[in-house]
Amino acid sequence: MAGLLTATVVAIVGPILVYVWPPAPKGQRKAGLKVTLNADVDSIPPETAVQFNAPTGTAFLMATGGGGNAPGDPTFGGFLVNPGAASQVEVFASRCPHLGCSFAFDTAGKIFKCPCHGSQFNLKGDVIHGPATAPLAKLAWKKGDQPNQLVVDGLILGEGQ
Amino acid sequence: MASLPHPRDIQIAVVEWLDERYPFTKSVDEALYQRVPNFANAFYYCFGGMVFILITFQLLTGVFLAFYYVPDASGNPAPAYTSVQFIMNNVFLGWLMRGIHFWSANLLIVMVVIHMARVFWTGSYRAPRELNWMVGVVMLLLILVLSLTGYLLPWDTKAYWATNVTIEIAGSAPILGPATKILLLGGAVEGPLTLQRFFAIHVFLIPGLLVLLMYVHFRLIRQHGISEPL
Repeated sequence: MAGLLTATVVAIVGPILVYVWPPAPKGQRKAGLKVTLNADVDSIPPETAVQFNAPTGTAFLMATGGGGNAPGDPTFGGFLVNPGAASQVEVFASRCPHLGCSFAFDTAGKIFKCPCHGSQFNLKGDVIHGPATAPLAKLAWKKGDQPNQLVVDGLILGEGQ
Repeated sequence: MASLPHPRDIQIAVVEWLDERYPFTKSVDEALYQRVPNFANAFYYCFGGMVFILITFQLLTGVFLAFYYVPDASGNPAPAYTSVQFIMNNVFLGWLMRGIHFWSANLLIVMVVIHMARVFWTGSYRAPRELNWMVGVVMLLLILVLSLTGYLLPWDTKAYWATNVTIEIAGSAPILGPATKILLLGGAVEGPLTLQRFFAIHVFLIPGLLVLLMYVHFRLIRQHGISEPL
């Protein structure tokens, strides 16, 4: 009797759990996403950041993580940063490692500020003010065909997203 | 000209017809005609009733909001957002309907907490009423889930990022966190599937469970009677 009851519950609850677990939408796949900036990649002035968004229906995938971010996590935006002082140009995911809010670049202070809980990061992505404890996540990218084009690792979300 | 029966005779005929099929009069009398003990006339015994009235407001205004609300987050601006704007700006008294839903939701949390504090203060959770306390705690959690899921539905910036933060917090829990995050998101990112899920939970799943538990809560009160003062 107990076995029959257990079998019934498993037979009903099991399929429901599988049902609510979201499948990947049709057509979802990883791809290099082409992004056009409003400045050339090589001529970004030192100590500035250029914001860009993932094209509609896509998301970038992070290459590094830390805090609430992990490699492979999706994000809808990024910043191309020239930290200055002969440092290399970097691309950060615009998703706060604290609790996932989208942050902004403060041109006057030359820092990144998150509007949700006040975390701040410098141009190298390091934390200069909490509550975040991990540095900004980086995106994997390469230069595109045009001087103002990037190709960023990302995800085509597919139908139904 | 044939004379019409007196309205009272029609009433009696209808009630008798019903009573022959189910003892409605007896049931209604038993439910309604109960003496309220004098000690229960103190003002602090009213908060549970206020919670009930506010939940009734929420169910009614919620159904009326659902006449116009569209749980679709695709496109920019998304129909979810524009339909809320439509309720606020175009629908006659739409702002009032949404306002009552919004403020009753806020007041509901306050009243639930005061009701819970009163039950604790008067020791009304003690034997044999522990089960009713447990039912009440479950209803508190259901109401918090309603608040959480309802917060996303306007699909504006505040709603989106607040829910983003909420899901991140849930995802940071040990062991079960990542799975909880995927179940809440309904996909790889916070998008239309997330809103659809939250909408279904907000309007179908939780209200049904809540009404069921309210019935259990009241039946248990009737079983035990109102608790006597300490």
